[in-house]
Amino acid sequence: MDIVPQLLVNAAITGSIYALVAVGFSLTYGVLKILNFAHGHLMMTGAYLFYFFTVEMALSVPMAALATCLASITMALIALVIFVNPFDRYSPMLPLVTTLALATILESCISMIFGVNVRSLESGSSAESYQIGSIFITPLQLVIIGTALMFLVSIAFLMHSTSFGRRVRAMSERLAAAQAIAINSPAMKGVVFTLGTIFSVYAGIMIGYETNLQPTMGHGYTMKALAAMILGGLGNLWGTILGCYTISVLENFAVGLDFGQYSLPAGYKDAFAYFIILMVLLIRPEGLLSFRRRMA
Amino acid sequence: MEYILHLAILVGIYLILAQSCNLTIGLGRLFNLAHVASYALGGYVTALASTELEMGFERCLISSALVAGLFATLLGGIALRLAGDYFAIGTLAFASIVSSLLINWKSVTKGVLGIPGIPRPEIAGVALYDNVQFGCLLGVIVIASLVILYCVFSSPFGRVLRGQAEDQLAMMALGRDVRLINTLGFLIASVFAGVAGSMFAYYINYIDPSSFSFSEMVFLVTIVVVGSPGSFWGCIAATFFLVLLPEPMRFIELPSSILGPMRQMIHSLVLLAVVWLNRAKLFPIQREV
Amino acid sequence: MLQVSDLHLRIGEASILNGVSFSAEAGDSIGIIGPNGSGKTTLFNCLSGFAFPVKGSVYLSGHDITHTPPYARAELGVGRVFQSFGIFREMTVMENLVVALESRAGILKTFFPWSMTSRMIRAKAKEFAAQVKLDGRLAERAGTLSGGQMRLLEIVRALAFGAEVFLLDEPTAGVSPKMKDEVAALINHVQKLGKTTLIIEHDINFVQSFSKRVLVLDQGRVILDDSPENVRKNELLREIYFGK
Repeated sequence: MDIVPQLLVNAAITGSIYALVAVGFSLTYGVLKILNFAHGHLMMTGAYLFYFFTVEMALSVPMAALATCLASITMALIALVIFVNPFDRYSPMLPLVTTLALATILESCISMIFGVNVRSLESGSSAESYQIGSIFITPLQLVIIGTALMFLVSIAFLMHSTSFGRRVRAMSERLAAAQAIAINSPAMKGVVFTLGTIFSVYAGIMIGYETNLQPTMGHGYTMKALAAMILGGLGNLWGTILGCYTISVLENFAVGLDFGQYSLPAGYKDAFAYFIILMVLLIRPEGLLSFRRRMA
Repeated sequence: MEYILHLAILVGIYLILAQSCNLTIGLGRLFNLAHVASYALGGYVTALASTELEMGFERCLISSALVAGLFATLLGGIALRLAGDYFAIGTLAFASIVSSLLINWKSVTKGVLGIPGIPRPEIAGVALYDNVQFGCLLGVIVIASLVILYCVFSSPFGRVLRGQAEDQLAMMALGRDVRLINTLGFLIASVFAGVAGSMFAYYINYIDPSSFSFSEMVFLVTIVVVGSPGSFWGCIAATFFLVLLPEPMRFIELPSSILGPMRQMIHSLVLLAVVWLNRAKLFPIQREV
Repeated sequence: MLQVSDLHLRIGEASILNGVSFSAEAGDSIGIIGPNGSGKTTLFNCLSGFAFPVKGSVYLSGHDITHTPPYARAELGVGRVFQSFGIFREMTVMENLVVALESRAGILKTFFPWSMTSRMIRAKAKEFAAQVKLDGRLAERAGTLSGGQMRLLEIVRALAFGAEVFLLDEPTAGVSPKMKDEVAALINHVQKLGKTTLIIEHDINFVQSFSKRVLVLDQGRVILDDSPENVRKNELLREIYFGK
């Protein structure tokens, strides 16, 4: 049983990464009303850009971070203008298809430029873990949890106490009413989409340090974010974030614990998220934490 | 010549696969992202049945079709309760679970190593290792499948399927059991996907999870959209076009690591262009009461 | 001030607007009536930017706004009040008013909650809430209000926003009879402030008490444009509503 604290810590680490990815996904759904199937791929591309700046161009980390930030903003805006905006006033199925196209294009480009083999970011700091009681945790992992918390607190402040956050919430709830009080939707959509991309790119960079980068990693994270959103309620940001940590706990415990003689193979970790999606959709489609019924 | 034969066989398999996808995604506008899972199941059932159980061609083919059909019934029963975005998400979850099982259930599927040594079909005592003969068998199956699918498309059933895509409520008001029709549509599409999977396994003689990735599903969606969703002949034309389009690249000296991604990128760019050109008419917005 | 000429709009096969024309001066109060399907809400959509005509034009104070997006029209002073309640139910009453005031003031000045402008906005929001007796419920989610209170909140929010042209789509729909008087009083107040008000209503008595002018719409056309008394007496109206 003393594996439990370690499992909780592991869950906190992966949950934090999922949360940073899911924030953008949820906000994009709330404000733009689209499921951005290229979300994980944008994350992956941004992380590869950082890899390019730090490893191939040997820039210092702060410079590389700045460059990646600017490049990611540009990438997000281009993606928005070409793959989302032209299809805004038509069926919501269209962005579903175009973001799939975007995802494939990004994956192909990165595969061609960087190859399909994994790449890793070297953190430079020692990989030695600190030991606290029965828990082992590396400095990087502490950074991941710490910065994620910082970001989440900032997002909470942004969404609830600033005028920007109020506009985002107004748009998410009722776009027409928000426009009727002159909330500038194209500008807001651009800002929200870009912000979401930046958060997930940061998560991607953390993944690159903690494990590695692969051109195919995008899809899995999009699905995790989707599962978290279904669990927590579409458009419900905090529900989604809670969903991320819940999924993370379920994944880590299901694979980490032994059930009598049986131990679930680690490969099934990802399948949890998909299973959760189906279960929730069947039982309570509006999400476990959502109080709003979806109009079918 | 061998090369052209190879392309013809590939096109043949995709003709069945894409047209069956066209039935649900194109005609019915049911965004079933688990179609490739039916394809995978068809392939794996044939692989296992022919290697482990040493069943003959007809039995393998029918088993593949049956299992795929069963999968569709299960999928339909669950996913068709969901509306709009949720439906696509539900099918996506299903597809991902199947994919995960294929990779992880090593005792059955051998995981990423795949199942080698699938024999060619044996007809009247002759094992069709000659691609020309295999091509003929496939040709017969393709034509039979397309004829059946054409009949489905132009039948009253097909009309109702198209009708519910535009206005589900109107169809229900006319007394049509929309849920049943959609489930049937799924069933038919899935059976043919299973057949395509079976022939694929028989052709390549090897099967592994990588042929049934999400990118493959995106490719099918691309064919359906490019061929104009719901259009029988359009889908056939699009299959030829998209399967053959990237092939000239082989003649440029590109390393194989570039060839694969480049093909996908070409497909996606074509998809984007077609969606952009048809954006007003592509997916009709369900009329609200 | 508001000039509408020859609006035509089609949805699919159906022709919803078939040449609507009228004009309004600043401070006018116009009632719009007509049977269901005559195009009243679609007309409002065209005026506020949620629908775009295939033919015709809308001019506001000399600006051609026929094809401008809704948020741009709101900036020019168009205030749309939705039949289906356009308040933000998940946000508190206070936030509903604050977000409208902030929209006027601009995002930079109001970004941080401790800035001067933000504090002024909160104070003003309280005043507006007090006007509709909601100052005791500022911290509650707007979704907990009754229909009448929601309507009052939406109208006073448009006031707070600084709209000049009020498009009120069936303001008494979903409002209890008791609250109708309060809605009426608020609309009166809005009119006394000199705002231009266009009201879609089925309740012709309600319309009569507010409007100096009534437009009757039928099958996408204005068939009558007169004072309420004359409209009441008109034979054509009887035919439309009750048949020959």
